[in-house]
Amino acid sequence: MLSYVLRRLLYAVPIVLGVIAITFLLFNVLQTPQAAATLVLGPKASQQARAEWIKNRGLDKPKSEQFVKHVKNMATFNFGTSWKSGRELNEVFRTGVGPSLMITIPGFLAGLIGGVGLALYQVFVRNSLLDRSITLWAVALMSVPTVVYIIFLQAIGALMLNYFPASGFDWRGLETLKFVALPIIIMAVVNLGSDVRLYRTIFMEEITQDYVRTALAKGLSSGHVLGVHVFKNGLIALITLTVGSLPALITGSLLIENFFGIPGLGNVLVLAIGTGDQPVVMASVYLGSLLYIASLILTDICYALADPRIRLS
Amino acid sequence: MISPSRALALIFCASLLAGCDNNPNPPPFREKRADGSPWLVRFSGLSEDPREFDPQKMYDQMSRRILEPVYDTLLEYHPMKTDPYEVRPGMLEEIPKKEVSAEGKISYLCRIKPAARFHDDECFPGGKGRPVLAKDVHFAFQRMCDPKVESPFLSNFVEYIPGLQEAHDAAEKSGKFDYDAQKLTSIELLDERTFRLHLSKPYPQILYWLAMHCTTPVAREAVEYYDGKEHDGVTRPDFRKFKAVGTGPFRIAEYVPRQRVRLVRVEGYATTTFPTDGFPPAKAEWLQQFAGKPLPLVDEVNFSIIRENIPIFILTRQGYLDGMGVNKDAFGAMITPGRELAPKWRARGLHLEKDVEPATFWISYNMDDPLVGKNRKLRQALSAAYDAQTYSDIFYNSVAPVAEQLVPPGIAGYSQTYRNPYGFNLEKAKQLIAEAGYPNGIDPKTGRPLEITLDMVAVGSEDRQRAEFEQRCFEKLGVKMKISENTFARLLQKQDTGDFQLSSGSGWGADYPDPENFFFLFYSKNMPPAGKNISRYNNPEFDRLFEQMATMENGPERLEIVNKINAILAEDCPNILNFHKAFYSVVQPWAPRTQDNAMLEGGVRFATVDPALRAEKQKDWNRKPLWPLAILGGLVAIGAVSAVRINRRRNA
Amino acid sequence: MEALFTHWLTQNLLVLAGFSLIAWMLWSASHHERWRRAWLRFRSDRGGIIALVVVGIYLILGALEVLSFPTKGGGTRTVLDLFVGGVPAEKSYSAPLATRLLSEAKPDPVKATHLLGTDALGKDVFVETLKACKTALIIGGLTAAIYIPLGTLFGILAGYFRRRVDDLIQYVYTTLASIPTILLLVAIILVLGKGLGTMSFALGLTAWVGLCRLIRGETLRQAERPYITAARALGQSHWNIITRHILPNVLHLVVINFVLGFSGIVLAESVLSYLGVGTPVGTPSWGNMIDSGRSELSRDPMVWWNLVSATVALFGLVLSLNLVGDSLRRAFDPKRG
Repeated sequence: MLSYVLRRLLYAVPIVLGVIAITFLLFNVLQTPQAAATLVLGPKASQQARAEWIKNRGLDKPKSEQFVKHVKNMATFNFGTSWKSGRELNEVFRTGVGPSLMITIPGFLAGLIGGVGLALYQVFVRNSLLDRSITLWAVALMSVPTVVYIIFLQAIGALMLNYFPASGFDWRGLETLKFVALPIIIMAVVNLGSDVRLYRTIFMEEITQDYVRTALAKGLSSGHVLGVHVFKNGLIALITLTVGSLPALITGSLLIENFFGIPGLGNVLVLAIGTGDQPVVMASVYLGSLLYIASLILTDICYALADPRIRLS
Repeated sequence: MISPSRALALIFCASLLAGCDNNPNPPPFREKRADGSPWLVRFSGLSEDPREFDPQKMYDQMSRRILEPVYDTLLEYHPMKTDPYEVRPGMLEEIPKKEVSAEGKISYLCRIKPAARFHDDECFPGGKGRPVLAKDVHFAFQRMCDPKVESPFLSNFVEYIPGLQEAHDAAEKSGKFDYDAQKLTSIELLDERTFRLHLSKPYPQILYWLAMHCTTPVAREAVEYYDGKEHDGVTRPDFRKFKAVGTGPFRIAEYVPRQRVRLVRVEGYATTTFPTDGFPPAKAEWLQQFAGKPLPLVDEVNFSIIRENIPIFILTRQGYLDGMGVNKDAFGAMITPGRELAPKWRARGLHLEKDVEPATFWISYNMDDPLVGKNRKLRQALSAAYDAQTYSDIFYNSVAPVAEQLVPPGIAGYSQTYRNPYGFNLEKAKQLIAEAGYPNGIDPKTGRPLEITLDMVAVGSEDRQRAEFEQRCFEKLGVKMKISENTFARLLQKQDTGDFQLSSGSGWGADYPDPENFFFLFYSKNMPPAGKNISRYNNPEFDRLFEQMATMENGPERLEIVNKINAILAEDCPNILNFHKAFYSVVQPWAPRTQDNAMLEGGVRFATVDPALRAEKQKDWNRKPLWPLAILGGLVAIGAVSAVRINRRRNA
Repeated sequence: MEALFTHWLTQNLLVLAGFSLIAWMLWSASHHERWRRAWLRFRSDRGGIIALVVVGIYLILGALEVLSFPTKGGGTRTVLDLFVGGVPAEKSYSAPLATRLLSEAKPDPVKATHLLGTDALGKDVFVETLKACKTALIIGGLTAAIYIPLGTLFGILAGYFRRRVDDLIQYVYTTLASIPTILLLVAIILVLGKGLGTMSFALGLTAWVGLCRLIRGETLRQAERPYITAARALGQSHWNIITRHILPNVLHLVVINFVLGFSGIVLAESVLSYLGVGTPVGTPSWGNMIDSGRSELSRDPMVWWNLVSATVALFGLVLSLNLVGDSLRRAFDPKRG
């Protein structure tokens, strides 16, 4: 097991290098140092101020030298400072990760619970008109752009009903929940459509298994069979499937964070994209890919744990 | 067993309970003042994070908004005298007078008030703030010359204050600015509190620069103490980034990036007081109660950082912000056709404030371009085809006045009656383009419509609409206007290299209220990339007049030159004038405005608030209807019942 | 190059080519056993058929907006303009079927009735919504033209040759997939400049990974089958085996992936518009309409028609595509439906 994980980690090294190379290439084509300086210092800055800015950041050095330095910095998690705000990026990420997780993890769990609940409900009433209409609704939910969900739910929850704060975030113990409640609900609803359909397929496959028929024949109530046996067995397939979608959560909350002023990573990122804050974007891409690779490895391990037939070799 | 759907319902209810209070503002630092009177807090929004708290470096609006109450300036803009703008003493005892020596050298004698003090801070011995001294002003100018500080202001001074460029170059060469050895002779220290500022040539505008934060004194102790490095296991903040050791009525109590900035009052602040004169007649009676009072009037200011427009609107409606700028989208909801506050908002007690900012926006021609640069009639034709009024109607709800001249309202030389000879007039435009050699916009050489490219920055959907509008105006002449979309950086690069024909979205907000600050944008010695003459306009006659007016005091003589310059610019048409910046803001009934100066960034130190009224209104404006919860519960119940029925039928 | 591509004749030819391609694919599919069986099953799926018809309508609308002919003045007009091009532009907002502009300051009478009102610049929202259909289809089509050959080819190569080839291809796509999609998209578009072409290129570059992985897995399975081993033993060339045996057996996966992927691309455009890297100025698109519509909701009276029209149009296309994709999947794999 350990050697397997180690091997997977070793295999990740060239991938990470590739990611760094691609981003470096993209962003050094994207912005000449001159343009970057104007962008950061604003249109009123003088030529002299720009030249100074470039020199102080070593952007006038040869590209190869910059690349080697960049790889070294990334490998040691030394991300430098944001061009725009001048803040240490390590600090920016450290403070941003909390608020992001405050909506992604509960949002993910709420979506999971809601999706599984609905899917089990569908299996419970399977092949009825209700079942089919829920499937249709799920497809319909999938067809609405995320932005539209956010716009409408914000207008209803914050503006019309006064239930939730329209924007803002604060670490305030249990009260923190009020800032993230509406984003969590949106997060859960956004992926509900595709999730419900996926989970329904999993549970429907489970329900055709022999043990279900046996259990039903033994006289167990169908609610009990569904809630305990089918749910438990389906869960394994479910976990392996959902772990793979974890990295998508990071970008999933990107828009929501912006609309609600949650000071998370998505917020940092959208601003950095808009203002051409190169170090932030490059470091975010790097961190995002690390997370992705980690979750890939995690998925494989989950598979292996769930199904002993798969050997870890 | 708890079924998943029941768990979901539980979580949902829990989050609803937590969401019952929809106020996003943090609780105040204190409930009561030391004397038992209520602790007053103001709540406002910031649309972006501040960039830095270093006065010599800071240039962006958000940082200015925060530093203005934290650092006093040598002079400051009078909060109510705006036509014309006027400065009053800040940290200086009086407005310095120009002195001319026997040899014709110009200087200003400045004396700092004894009351001006730095805030208490651990960088000072014993943690007690010390008085502000003349050497601190000298130190501030030294910092502007230090290449490591990256001050964007130095270039504005080098022409007028001798020795600055030399100091900068010496530091550039040696790699380090030596603050002990590299003295600036143009800031001559006479005694502890008195200094003399020497100029190399007349520059009356220097007084305005003394009202800006780049010349505000800073303590050398603070800069050296807060170096951003680790000392005894503690990393100190960096003065050049987010550490302020101020001199103003507030200090920064908390800055949480992407969330908020909070200021609290400095006890014992006595440098400036609420003005006793210049009150606008409409508010004079009410303002009289504050006259001569010590500042600040409130104890705490909370800036929430909110980047999206919609939440700002919602939070104002709910009473959680003390006011907001009426942006384009909120406009229809808040303002009537008669340019007044809509009745339902007035019923809530809100006030409308109308401001014109000293700023002008235009579309630049590239005068080096072989087509538009060399064909004056063509430039005039396009200018006359541009419908700036409709632009203002669509994008600024007709609030922004159409620009008839480069100089904006409120600044010497602006004339209310002057009309741009090539303002919108489609008939004239069609005639002009025929005279330019392109009748009906057709290029006689190719027989096809003349193709012109308009460069612009497109980020949001509104930028796109603006571009489309401009395109449509010009294409009424029959020409083909190609839109080239750029990132902001790319457009600036094109402007630097002169690689464009027309560039949309140029503009200038006054650094100080003087026409020279606008005309220098067309001065030939100010070409890009070093300067900001984006149009690459080069006219010896203009240059001569500009040089003449730049160093003059305001007066009829100067006005005559300004008028001549306006006529030259209008006829030569190096740009298509668009609009002056103006905007409306609404303020809550509990927080009426006490200042009207657009050169100030908020004037927080003069702000006041009525907390009892706020509490009452907030309660009234945030009622929560319960019927949606009932509907939700009903749906769940129906779902459960039908599931049971379906199952029973199947088993039967 | 660009002038040639944007020439009206080229555009018309491209539309014809597109439709002929679809016709040819249908024709050849009807000669294939597996596809015929799937069609029989698909035909009995009423929802799928309705959805297919809706997709067809969108296709035709898009084609009408591309098909164009020269006019006297040297410009061109599209066929769609013949039907709806006569609607005059107003000065600014007007509500659906309103007789006056929305502006309370200058409520001038409108020049024509607008079924779905007009937007900030006075353009008819109904016409814009119809025209945006073309943009969505072009982005989807171009993206598919990039990612489907790429994904299918590399997927088959990796699954068929394995070893080094597989390692290399896996390395490339894992690396690409490791970069958060949205960031890669934004970065590429910012580098290459805005435009339908670059946007499709960026979307294609990120979309092929999923298809490639899918095809690789299926090819791996197919290559194990006895008939492939037999073909190999008989000395058939790799080219023959791939085109004759493997490709036909994975093609249905490509089609299903295409239909479902298409909806993803249309949705992605709306997110890109929000981030400011959407379609260029003057190109009507649902994403842009939604993005500008989001702040119009807080106007009073509320301007909802822009947002709602675009959302409904987009929703209709994506929903139909999703339904067609589902039906196709059921038709090809009846056990798992």
